Amino acid sequence: MNEVPWSLHLLSEVLAAFTVDDPQALRSVIHRVAEAVDAEVVAIVSPQQVKLCIGLSSRQQAPLPSLVTRQPTTLPLGEQSLHAHWAPLGEKDQLLVARLGEPFDLEERSLLRAMGRSIELSSEVLRAVKAEREAKEQALLQATHDAMTGLPGRALVLERLEELLQGRGCEPDATPTVLFVDIDRFKQINDAHGHASGDQFLCAVAEALRGVVRGTDLVGRLSGDEFVVVTCTRRQEEAEILARRIIERVSRPLLLAGKLVSHSPSIGIAFEEVQTLPREGSQAATPFEAAAAAATGPGADPVAQSAEALIENADMAMYRAKDLGRGRFACYDSGMRLQAQRRAATEMELRRAVRHGELLPFFQPIVRMPERRIVGFEALVRWQHPGHGLLPPSEFVPVAEDSGLIVEIDLHILHAASRILADWKRRFPGLSLRLSVNVSGRTFVDPALTAHVTEALEASGLSADELYLEITETMLVEDIDSTTEVVERLKQLGIQLAIDDFGTGYSSLLYLKRFPIGILKIDRSFIDGLGIDREDEVIVKAVIGVARALGIALVAEGVETDRQLQILEDLGCDFVQGYGLGRPMDASAAEQLLQQAALALERG
Amino acid sequence: MTCSASGPSAVVVPATQERTRWIRVGSSLDPDTDRAVEEALQPLLQAGKPKLVLLFASATHDLECVASRLADAFGEDVVIGCSTAGELAPDRSSLGGLTLWALGGEGFTVSLGMGQGGPEGLRQAANEAAHCLDRLERRAHTVLVLLADGLCGDQVEVVRGAYDVAGVEVPLVGGCAGDDLAMQRTHQVFGRRLLRQSVVAAAISSDAPLGIGVSHCWEPRSAPMLVTASTGTEVISLDDRPALDVLLEAFEAPEDVRTNAEIFTSWVTTRPLGIRRRDRIEIRYVAGADFTRRSLKTIAEVPQGGLAHLMQGDGHSVLEATQQACEMAAQALEGQPMQGLLLFDCVARRSVLAEDRIVEEVQRINSVRGDLPVGGFYTYGEIARTRGAGGFHNQTLVALALA
Repeated sequence: MNEVPWSLHLLSEVLAAFTVDDPQALRSVIHRVAEAVDAEVVAIVSPQQVKLCIGLSSRQQAPLPSLVTRQPTTLPLGEQSLHAHWAPLGEKDQLLVARLGEPFDLEERSLLRAMGRSIELSSEVLRAVKAEREAKEQALLQATHDAMTGLPGRALVLERLEELLQGRGCEPDATPTVLFVDIDRFKQINDAHGHASGDQFLCAVAEALRGVVRGTDLVGRLSGDEFVVVTCTRRQEEAEILARRIIERVSRPLLLAGKLVSHSPSIGIAFEEVQTLPREGSQAATPFEAAAAAATGPGADPVAQSAEALIENADMAMYRAKDLGRGRFACYDSGMRLQAQRRAATEMELRRAVRHGELLPFFQPIVRMPERRIVGFEALVRWQHPGHGLLPPSEFVPVAEDSGLIVEIDLHILHAASRILADWKRRFPGLSLRLSVNVSGRTFVDPALTAHVTEALEASGLSADELYLEITETMLVEDIDSTTEVVERLKQLGIQLAIDDFGTGYSSLLYLKRFPIGILKIDRSFIDGLGIDREDEVIVKAVIGVARALGIALVAEGVETDRQLQILEDLGCDFVQGYGLGRPMDASAAEQLLQQAALALERG
Repeated sequence: MTCSASGPSAVVVPATQERTRWIRVGSSLDPDTDRAVEEALQPLLQAGKPKLVLLFASATHDLECVASRLADAFGEDVVIGCSTAGELAPDRSSLGGLTLWALGGEGFTVSLGMGQGGPEGLRQAANEAAHCLDRLERRAHTVLVLLADGLCGDQVEVVRGAYDVAGVEVPLVGGCAGDDLAMQRTHQVFGRRLLRQSVVAAAISSDAPLGIGVSHCWEPRSAPMLVTASTGTEVISLDDRPALDVLLEAFEAPEDVRTNAEIFTSWVTTRPLGIRRRDRIEIRYVAGADFTRRSLKTIAEVPQGGLAHLMQGDGHSVLEATQQACEMAAQALEGQPMQGLLLFDCVARRSVLAEDRIVEEVQRINSVRGDLPVGGFYTYGEIARTRGAGGFHNQTLVALALA
């Protein structure tokens, strides 16, 4: 066996273990050193520590650093002893190789010395190659991944989805599927808690999504609060189960800047192989539908054959999910494309309308019982469209809320209505008028709201107790920490709140006590039942009792008939509002009404 | 013929306590799993509660069912095992059979471990499995028995991973699970669990010596050649020439061997590669070839930069190795009476002998063991580390004798 002398082949055998692909390359190298010379122990030792060692237990390794300077040629091992050789490895480290049986001969010692130097050099090369590779990988990662959440960005999502659509990745009986995840009220959360918290929030959502999907699924972030999950499913139910899991997981409240934030995602699901959009014979439900259909032309709808189209479909389904309420999901169907086009057309038109002052305050009178005298108005927004005439809020407010235009619209109505009411107060001094202005959830938590309210009061000359901000009870309690701050600021201005739709949500007595509530507006659904449903009457009576006890004015909304009016009067209701007493009207019509009221007052 | 063999020089510690030690082996050739396990169980049930039961069964058996039956009989904490490419039992060598090898008595202590292969392959799995040594109540003599997936990555990593835990003082023995040469998938058993891509281990400590014998008896048929290109388990070139061509030319392979993968695999069984180590040659089984890349496929690393020989053996050398390994293991007990033998025998050696001469191997084993219990299995790779840090073998017989 000794006919072949030791040679450099052993060295190259050891060094072949240096590879950037093996995270434990150095450990592999010292194993090969041991295997090459039949050694039981190989270690890299410095005077301070054992950096790597095979063959000895931690206890047996402990004395090695203290031996580096002495470099003994034998090491005790129980009743036996190991023959040791120390070879320099860099400036401070030593390559210790030790074996039972025969001591190392001259040629082996020479070989081990060469190994020490080679390992040192190779380690440096490996480090340099690794650093270069990592830098490249990092650059690639930055180019393809979202820096904040670490999730793949749009390009990588599209690439992956394209692969699936080309039949690479899904099992033969499974279909490429996209779940488009959008966080409900994210802009409010961001505005209310600050951008740093918003970023933290998005990272938490990314983490939650990563935790809920399968290993083979891809989670990506398209922009802002828009995430996608790319997966393969065999049945629609599979995607729905995943959507439910995401909703459950992502909806768990998060602690942001010391405050617990409730939130929910809306999810749109789209599968490959959807039907083309049935265009012929579809009816335009609104002026925008007709406009949208005209803009795209017949047969222009793509089927979900490209990755972009599939994501677009999921996005449309997500809007349907939002229409269903928060924390819901919906699957794409071809009708959604037209709806999305409508929505896009409406948004574009709405932006133009805001710029051109087409959004106007309308006024619905609020009447005091039992004398039935006008004591104020609720300001409501209407769109005076140049082509389609006067449009009700249902035509454009959902789009305004989704696009964020609602804040601009709300503030515009606040300023305009305040100016008009102040003018009426000057012209009809005998009438004690107050104004109630609707404010959406997004506007309510907008940091600029109090400044706008102050400005509106100053510009119009209205006093704070003549202006109510009307919000829903859901808005008030949903993100209680954020709303408390807003309410406190408004309270300092002397502004009171009117709670809309009271009785349909939480109806918590606690917030009635905690917040500066000036008016409760009992929901029209209870008023509708008056004279028909005994239970509604009981509820209305109870709410009137509560409002009285707490010193809060009560307005009954949606009063349409004399019978309802009579019952409310009998029940002791303070104020009423509804078509039966006056529909929302433009400023000039409201002014005429006030003139009549002023005349009536003069006549006594 | 010179046989390459190695073994530990076991230090005999006189028994100061009279603690009992026993080994039992049961086996069955019955193809019905339920009947086979009941038959194999009989000798074990008579011996009392074992501390370790090693299950070696053909892939044709329902291993989960066998594991469950054994766990019911003895508890989950004593059973490990694997699928095989043939089984060894007293007086017979089987295919499609089932062997149970058990030990018990106060003189033995046992601890079991398991590791599941992950991104780092079998090294991490072996490392985790070997940590059963941490829980072992140590006696004078200790060995770690490893059973690994034989078709999963580089098998050399099993030894490296286990050695990182076991260190110089604990020898390693074991084998890689087989699947009756289907080369599809192997299984490992841990308690009631049936695993893949894993390593299961039993750390055994004994009052009495443990002897290990290793032998292959293959002879170099070429001068040493430099492994000029290899990666993982693929040998691409030897002395800068395509490795497949080097092999085919050296042995003047017939035409059908050069073109038919199946015939090649059978032909090359007796023509492994040998890696030159300091004073011995380690065998690497050639499992196949890539006729396009002109490379050889092995189941363990043939390191680039190393020196390799073309090796050859025959039935005679296989039988020589059998006897030598068994004798070496027995001799390492240094006079203490042997209680039994545990064998890890390469399936390629079995292929060399073929069915008509396999009985001769059993006879050679019997010549050493007498009527003592013996059991084991035909493997896809053998483990025996008794000195140095390496210890992965092919086409080798590894014998563990227990006093």
